[in-house]
Parts: sequence; structure tokens; C-alpha cells
Amino acid sequence: MKLLKKDLKEALRLISDDFELLLPGEGSGVSRFALWDGGDIDLSYGNTQLPPKDILFPHTEKMYSFKCATDVEVTEEAEAKSRIVFGIRPCDMRAIECMDKVFLEKGFTDSFYSRKREHTLFIAMGCTNPCRTCFCDSMGLTPGDAPAADILLVESDDSFEVKAQTQRGKEIAECFGRLLTDGKVQVSKVSCALKTKMSDDLPEKLSGMFEHPIWDEVGRACIGCATCTYVCPTCYCFDISLDNHGSEGVSFRCWDSCMFSDYTRMAGGHNPRPTKKERVRNRYMHKLSYFNERYGSALCVGCGRCVEKCPANLDITEFIDKVAEVRL
Amino acid sequence: MIDHSCSCEDNPLIPKICVVSDVIEETPDTKTFRIQTVDGKKPFLPKPGQLAMISIFGVGEAMFSITAQGEDYIDSAIKKVGVLTEALHSISPGQKIGVRGPYGNGFPIEGLEGFDLLFVGGGIGLAPLRSLIRHSLENRKNYGHIDILYGARSPEDLVFKDDLFENWTKQPDTIVHVTVDKADAVWDGNVGFVPAYLEELAFQPRNRKVIVCGPPIMIKYCSESLVRMGFDKKDVITTLEMRMKCGIGKCGRCNIGSKYICLDGPVFTLSELDDLPDEK
Amino acid sequence: MNDIETKLRETVKRLLADHTVRYVIGWEATRFEDKTRPAFISDSADTDRLVWNKYCVSSLAKYALDEQHSEGKIGICVRGCDSRAVCRLIEDKQLLRENLYLIGLPCDDKEMNICDTCTHRNPVIYDELVGEPVLERQADRFAMVGLMEAMSADERYSFWESNYSKCIRCYACRNICPACNCRACYADQERVGWQGKQMNTAQNQIYGLTRTYHVGDRCIECGECERVCPMMIPVMLQTRKMLKDINEMFGDYECGLPDGRAPVLGEYTLGDADDFM
Repeated sequence: MKLLKKDLKEALRLISDDFELLLPGEGSGVSRFALWDGGDIDLSYGNTQLPPKDILFPHTEKMYSFKCATDVEVTEEAEAKSRIVFGIRPCDMRAIECMDKVFLEKGFTDSFYSRKREHTLFIAMGCTNPCRTCFCDSMGLTPGDAPAADILLVESDDSFEVKAQTQRGKEIAECFGRLLTDGKVQVSKVSCALKTKMSDDLPEKLSGMFEHPIWDEVGRACIGCATCTYVCPTCYCFDISLDNHGSEGVSFRCWDSCMFSDYTRMAGGHNPRPTKKERVRNRYMHKLSYFNERYGSALCVGCGRCVEKCPANLDITEFIDKVAEVRL
Repeated sequence: MIDHSCSCEDNPLIPKICVVSDVIEETPDTKTFRIQTVDGKKPFLPKPGQLAMISIFGVGEAMFSITAQGEDYIDSAIKKVGVLTEALHSISPGQKIGVRGPYGNGFPIEGLEGFDLLFVGGGIGLAPLRSLIRHSLENRKNYGHIDILYGARSPEDLVFKDDLFENWTKQPDTIVHVTVDKADAVWDGNVGFVPAYLEELAFQPRNRKVIVCGPPIMIKYCSESLVRMGFDKKDVITTLEMRMKCGIGKCGRCNIGSKYICLDGPVFTLSELDDLPDEK
Repeated sequence: MNDIETKLRETVKRLLADHTVRYVIGWEATRFEDKTRPAFISDSADTDRLVWNKYCVSSLAKYALDEQHSEGKIGICVRGCDSRAVCRLIEDKQLLRENLYLIGLPCDDKEMNICDTCTHRNPVIYDELVGEPVLERQADRFAMVGLMEAMSADERYSFWESNYSKCIRCYACRNICPACNCRACYADQERVGWQGKQMNTAQNQIYGLTRTYHVGDRCIECGECERVCPMMIPVMLQTRKMLKDINEMFGDYECGLPDGRAPVLGEYTLGDADDFM
């Protein structure tokens, strides 16, 4: 089915009564996903500067509130709005798949995440014009394809092909009704300009390189900030803390970063990752090896945000290529 | 907003409100807290070696080992090392706290059945061991000879003194060996570090499983000693400690390699540890 | 390749060969023409990795703190701002001058806004200079502050409120800053009721303000805080406002210069302005 670009706004209007719509947009010079105000839709964003992960995993999220003056009473926050994320890119969609594994599998279900996940649908937009730091095709993705999305839009000059990929996606597509016409869109194959020598055996190779001298050099320029982890669509680490007001308070969780020195520091003072060497090693290993071991895929989707934003210009693609060249 | 009493059971990150029904002073810096639900029940059913996330509302939350359990309570022995533990040490019976769990894999109790057991503990490291010691004494016929080797910095730092000098020594076929790094005027027991005493006592590896818990440096030297004494690394079990926040393998920080200590640990055999990166 | 780059590589090769330094901190190329990365050269065979171009913008001095207590000299390529960062770290007792070998690089080709207001294009201290000194230019360091001061109080509040609502608390501004050299930062203290870890505008603003006050009179005006901010918050503008006030109240003041002057807010004289009290 096809949807003309000029009808897109009308199509979104048709679903905006039943869903909160989140679209890529720009505010104060930073692009991110934000609530649609019903205005014109800008499709020119490549990868938004901030990834859409905060839709399911907010920067800071209230977990429960408590009163402790005379007696303890705990109330849990429940939130379940139905939302549609429109215009998510294939890399960010793959990142959501990674987060699903973390928050929904391995014994415990994270209720805060799962509640949002159940009520969120994704309309993905295949990439036609990757950013200069994009390398998703080296990481096994296809820039034009987002298999986990409920609907995939394939963009051409004047229209989109609307591919409903799940039952929920089909129901949404039905809402577009008369705006949809029969037909397909022909697109040429898109490929990323930035290439890296990622291979199927690299995760295992890396797991044998924990003590390799490569780590002495790779993180040396790192300044230990959280930019890479906070612009990363897959980094999911969090902290749990409190906000007190008198005898009442709130327990919240918020993003945390394995790049911070206090991340692993224990109450007695011991820190198993005392310098940036160990911290950068943990991040790269997690992205390219540990996650594969635990969940069966890489935790890097090749969106290139960390490459673009790192204050010291560390580049995970250069690292991958260095590892590829190491002879063990 | 949902009332706590009816929904949070499903949310593993929301603590259950519990009551500290008793506080027992073990040493100048360690206390045992007896924890029950508000209606006087056991908060949950832990396996020996499992962990509990304990919080004081308004102060914070941290992971502790469960030292013992009874019909209607769990115990946790906690050493004062930071902000939260200091706050815990200042509470009195009747105060409410938050508890969630149980977390972690726990000790492989079935795998230990039929074997002689050697427990090696140092300092507050006896806390996680105690849950397993109690389990094996309660199910005495399932286990062979039991040795408990325990050491602390000084006689006043020895935890669970009633157990060490009364309860456990009275048990059939059970020997308790106690040592201190530094004696005081009245101490007439062994003086010396745990690893040295371990070698001196020259335990035979045949049909024996060892469970070691204590400060990282003690675990390291004891492990080396045990390997030298001929123990198979598969027969030596220890517990690891990492900083934890969620307890359910999500928040990321307690990983060693691809393993999360809160979920896949804290109990590992030495041979399992050999497969993990050296980042403890 | 330019002349300076060639000379820089030769200089570093010589310094490594005659064991003047253990290694040299400079810049190297990346996969992107407009990005360079701090490089650590300890082998004279690697000196060709060093580059010198208008994209050599990362501040380098603070990397010397990674080996603060090691024996032997560390070589650092210093532009004006890097040399002032070195002064800052020496003044703050973080580095010893005799443990450093400073390779001066006059610099006036950078295309960042902050560099337009640079008053020290030549290194203020160095052991040897690569290339000829460049002309210092008159620059109004506080031009942007004027724009901010022209706002009403409400406008100014909403300006900063909107900027700090974007902050993701990555602490890049802190970590890159040569004046932020505390071993343990107040923001990393895990105590409830202290700097909260929650990311909301109020907590972000508290962080931003505290950071500004902590570095205000010790800021060497390199502008790295603003360059590294992934959310494009004009962090430097806050510090510049403080510096402007300091200049107005205590006379002409620039820090990170080898003039032995202590940070102005760290000393007290009877003649100090006190009309704000």
C-alpha cells in the first residue's frame, strides 16, 4: 500500500485521537523525539541527536513514593498511555529490540519498561540518506529495513510504501483507510559511507582479549564523561536513588554510565574498574562481546552517535578494525 | 496511583514494607537484623546464599546476604561501612524498612549432599556462610563431616559468637576452628591469618567440598592454598561482591564479563571464576 | 602537510630519541577530516601520527593528570589555552613544572567561536616553540555577556532554564575542564539531599551553577566546556559572566598566566570591593 507524502499529516491526524504521537523534532538546537504538535512534519532528520530510548526508558523515572514520618506507606506509579513513535530509524528500532531483551528476559520482567513497551507502537522509516557516522550495515543491519517495527515506511520522492509488519501495525494501517492506495515503491539499495570490519567471530575473539595490550591505548584519550553512553540508543544502565522532601520522598531511577568512576565503586571504597582503561574496556566489551554472549546479538547498532559526539573523538569503528587486525 | 498492597508484588523493583523485629549486636561494627513482614511473617523464602535488597526509606538501598532464616523471619548481619549501613545501625526494633528479594543463585545445596564440608570464613564473610551452615546442620544426615574455620581481626571482631563457641561445637561430627589476626589479653585460641591456619590444619581433599567467604584478599590466598592442598577447583565454592542497584540483572553495574553477579552469582566455583575476566 | 606539522614531528622525534620525555601528548587524525583526537606518542616511529591543523581543538593538559605521580617528563603540545591550563594545574598543585616539557604552538587558525575572543594565541609558557609567534589580537572577551546582561531577570531565567532543561548530566564540561581537578567531585557524592542524580531542570541548574562557581575565578577561558557539550548549552557564557564581574570588582584579571597571582576569590585584601554584601 502507498501513502502520498502530502497526505501524511492527515494520516497522522487520523490516529492522533487514540494515540500520543512522538516524532523527531528539534528544540533549542537539539533533535530528539517529542510529542507532535499537529504541525508540519519534517522528514529530514537523520539520526536524532538524542536517541528515542527515553520513550521506554526515561532519563529519570519515578518508581514509587513513600511517607516515612510516622509510618511507611509506599505508592507505586503506574503509567500506561498508548503511544506511537513515528519516524524511528532502523538502527534505533534494533536498539529497542536489544532493550527488550534486557528488560523483558532473563528471569525478571522490568515492570516500568514492560508497561510502556506494551502500549507503544513503532512506525519506522527506512533510511535513504545515512549520516556520515552511520555504520549500521557493518553491524548486520539493512538501512532500509526495520523488521521489529509495527509499520515500515519506505520513502520515495512523493510517497511512502506502508508495510504493516505486525497485527497492531495492520490495525493502525487500517485507520489510514482511504488515504492508502495500491502500489509499491521502488528504492535503490542504501549503503553506509563509514565501514568497519565487524565479523561474526569478532565477539568471541574479543572475549579472549581481556588482557590484551590494545586496552592500554584505546581509552587513553577518553575524558570519562557519559556522552557516548547517553547518546547511545542501546545503553541501558541505570541508578536508583531518592528525592526527599521532609518525611516524604520519591524513589526514582535514572540513567547511569559505566564511564563514571563511581559507577562500580563500593561502599568500602574498593573499585573493580579503577581507571578509564577498565571502564572503556567494559563499554567496548559490553557492546561487542558480553552482550552477544548473554543475549545473542551485538549491543552496538551502528547509529554513529558516539562517533559524532565524543568530546575526544574516540571511534568504535576504528577500534573494531584494530581488533580485526590483531593476531592472537 | 495504585495502592501498594494490591499490585506491587509483581514489580520486582518495589520493596515490601517489613519490620525489624530484633537487633543483635555481634561486634562493635556488626549487627544482625531480624526482619519480618508487618503481619509477623517471613518476607520471602530464600535459599542459603541468596541476597536481599534492604532499604531505609529516605536513606537508600543496598544488597546484603541473608544470614539465617526461621519459620517467620529472615536475618541479615550487616557491617557498618557507609551511609546506609550507618543508618541501619542506628535503628531500633519496631522500625519499618523496605526489603526485596530473594536475589542471586544461592549455594548449590543439592550438589553438596553426601560430601564432607569445609567452611572457611573471614570477618563479615561468615554472614553468607551461616545460612548454609545452618541449613547443613538442620539437615545433618545429608552431609558428612563438617569443619568450620573462621577468623577475624581480633576476638572482639568475631561474629556469631554463640554459634562459634556454643551451638555449632555441640553438633555431632562438627568441628569449629577459630583464629584471630591479633589476640587480646584473654584470648587463648589460635592466632594467625585464615589462609595460614587453613594450611596448618591440612584438610584432605577427598570427598570434601569447600565454601570460602571473606575479604577478597583472604579468598585469593585461601583459594591458592586449597589448590596447593590438592582440591579440585570445581569443589571450591566462593561468593563475589560487586556494587548492585537493581538486583535483577538489568541496571548493568555488577557485571564481570557477561555475568551479572546479582543474578548469575554471587556463588561461583573457582573453576567458574577462572572463566570470568579478572575484574573483581 | 604544513611546515609547522613537519617541524612538530621532528621536534617530538628528537625529544623521544634523546629521552627528554617519556611520551608526548599531541593530536592525531581520525576518520573524519574535521575531527582530531588526543594522541600519546611514546615511540619515535609513531611521530608521523601527529597532526597540526585547524581541527586540533581538544585541550591536552589535563591528560597529564593520568600519570600525575610517575617519574620522568611528559611532553605536551601547548597552544595558548593549553599552556594556561598547565599554569592552572601547576597553580592548583596538581602538576610539577619540572615534570613537563612544553612544546609551544602559536595558534590562530581555529574556527571555533570561542577562539575569536582568544587573548593568548601564543603559549604563555613553553620549553621550545615550534613556528613563529603570531600576533595577539584585541578581543572583547565579554561581548556575549553584554547580550545576557541586557536581558531582564525573567528573560535571563528562562534563557538558562531552557538551556539546562536540555542538560543530560554527562559531565563532559566538568571532565574536560582543567580547573575541575578535584580528586572527588561534589557531584559524585552519593548522599541523598546533596546534588541529586535525577535529571530535571532544577537539579541540572544546581549542577550548572555550582560548576560555574567552583571554576569561576580559576577559569582559563579555553571554552572546552562549551565545545564538548553534546546538548550545545552555552556553558562558557556563565563563567564569562563571573569573570566579567570579577574584572569589574577586582580589576583586570585573567588566570592561568605565569604571574604567580592566586585565584582572586581565594585571597582577601582590605581594599576588596564589598558593595555586593
